[in-house]
Amino acid sequence: MFYQPKTVQEALDRKAELKERGTFIAGGTDIVVLMNHGKAAPENFIDLTHIPELRAIHRHNGTLELAGNVTYAQCGRLPVRCLAQASLSVGGPGIRELGTIAGNLATASPAGDGSVALLALDAEVELTSVRGARRLPLDKFFLSYRKTALAPDEMITKVLIPTNYRSDWLKNGKRGAMNISVVAAAVAITPQKQVRIALASVAATPIRCRQAEKFIARHGLGADAIRQAAELVRGEIKPITDHRASADYKTHLAGVMVRRLLENLVKE
Amino acid sequence: MKKPAKAKSTDGLWPLRFTLNGRKVSAKVQPTQTLLDFLRVEMGLTGTKGACLEGECGSCYVLVDGKPMNSCLMLAPQVQDRKVTTIEGFAHNQKLDVIQRKFVECGAVQCGYCTPGLVVAAKALLAENPHPTREQFLVGMEGNICRCTGYSQILRACKLAADEMGLKKK
Repeated sequence: MFYQPKTVQEALDRKAELKERGTFIAGGTDIVVLMNHGKAAPENFIDLTHIPELRAIHRHNGTLELAGNVTYAQCGRLPVRCLAQASLSVGGPGIRELGTIAGNLATASPAGDGSVALLALDAEVELTSVRGARRLPLDKFFLSYRKTALAPDEMITKVLIPTNYRSDWLKNGKRGAMNISVVAAAVAITPQKQVRIALASVAATPIRCRQAEKFIARHGLGADAIRQAAELVRGEIKPITDHRASADYKTHLAGVMVRRLLENLVKE
Repeated sequence: MKKPAKAKSTDGLWPLRFTLNGRKVSAKVQPTQTLLDFLRVEMGLTGTKGACLEGECGSCYVLVDGKPMNSCLMLAPQVQDRKVTTIEGFAHNQKLDVIQRKFVECGAVQCGYCTPGLVVAAKALLAENPHPTREQFLVGMEGNICRCTGYSQILRACKLAADEMGLKKK
C-alpha cells in the first residue's frame, strides 16, 4: 500500500498503526536506489513529500529549526557554514532537491554528509510519535552501523542547530561531484570557544572525536596542540578498507583534514 | 471538479493526477513504479533516459515544479498534484527551446543519451540564475554525466543560450 498523508499528524497515526511494516519515504535517494537494483519494495510506503509543514525553516532565539523534509538545496542556502558546504557537496542539483535532512539522519550512513556537519554543531533531533515528542542530541541518535534511536512509531520532525557557532567543513572524495566521501570532516567553535570535531566515513556511524576535543579544551589551538589533536583523531577512528580507500589512507587523511580545518579556524 | 484523490489507494493502484508538459494527466499507477518508468512506459515519453538508476548520471532529469529532479529516484505517486516537465515539453509550436537549439548549433550532442538530462539541468540553472559564471555552470551541471565527454561543447551551448536569453529580456 502507498499512503500520502497531508499532515504530520496523519503520517504519525499511520506509522503508529503500521510500525515496522510502514516505511517513510521522502527523497527516495537511498530506498529507490535499492529497489532499482532488485531489492523488494517495502510492504507499505508512507510518503512524506506532500506535507508542507515538513519543509519549514524557523529561527528562534539563535536556534534554527529545520523541519525534517528540508532539502539539501534549502540547507545549502543557510547561513551556517559547515552545513551549507556539506549540503552543496551532496550529489548534484537533482539529488539536492530530493534528499532531505531527516532522510540523511534516518538512513544513518557512516558517510552522511549532513550528519557530520550537524554533529559538529551539537544538533538536536526532535523525534515525534503519537505518544508525543522528545529531543535527543544527535550523537545519541546514531547507535551503530545503520541503527538509530528511532522507535518503530517515530519520525524525525525537526533538526535544531545553533546559529552562533563558527564552523568549517572539508570533504575528500574521488570526484568533484556526485561524490561519496572517502573522509569528511566538520569542525565548529562555540561562542565559549569550545571546539567540536566530527568525522564521517571513518567508523560505523558519523562520529565526534571526543579525545581530540578534550585535548584542545586543555591545551588550546596553538600549532603544536593542533598537531597533537590531529594525532589523537587518528587514534580515535576505526575506518575500514573498502573500494574507496584503505583504512590506513583514511586514517592519515582524517588527521590532515582536521589539522587543516583547525588551522583555518585559528587564522580567521 | 472531481473529488480529490483519497490519501490511500484501494486496489493497490494509485490514482495519480498531475500536470505533464502543461496537460492534466490522470492514471492508475503501481505505487512502486518510478516516475522514470511511468513516463517512458505508460506515457510513451522516451526522451527521459534511464542509465545508472541510482542518481549518479542525471540522464533521467525532469523538472518538477521547475526544479531538476532525478526521475529514477522518485515514485510516480510522489508527483501527485505537481507540474512535471520532460524534454518533450520544451519545444513549442515546432520551435525548439533556445537551449535545445544551442545544443544543436554547437554540436553539443554526440551519442545523445545524456542530452535531455543536460538540457533539463541547464533550463533549471538558467531559470534560477540567468547569468551564471563558468563555475556556476559547472555546479549547475555537476549532476549530469556525458560519457562521450563532450563537455566543452555542452558548456558553450549553455553559455550561448544564456546570452541569447539575456538579450531577449533586454
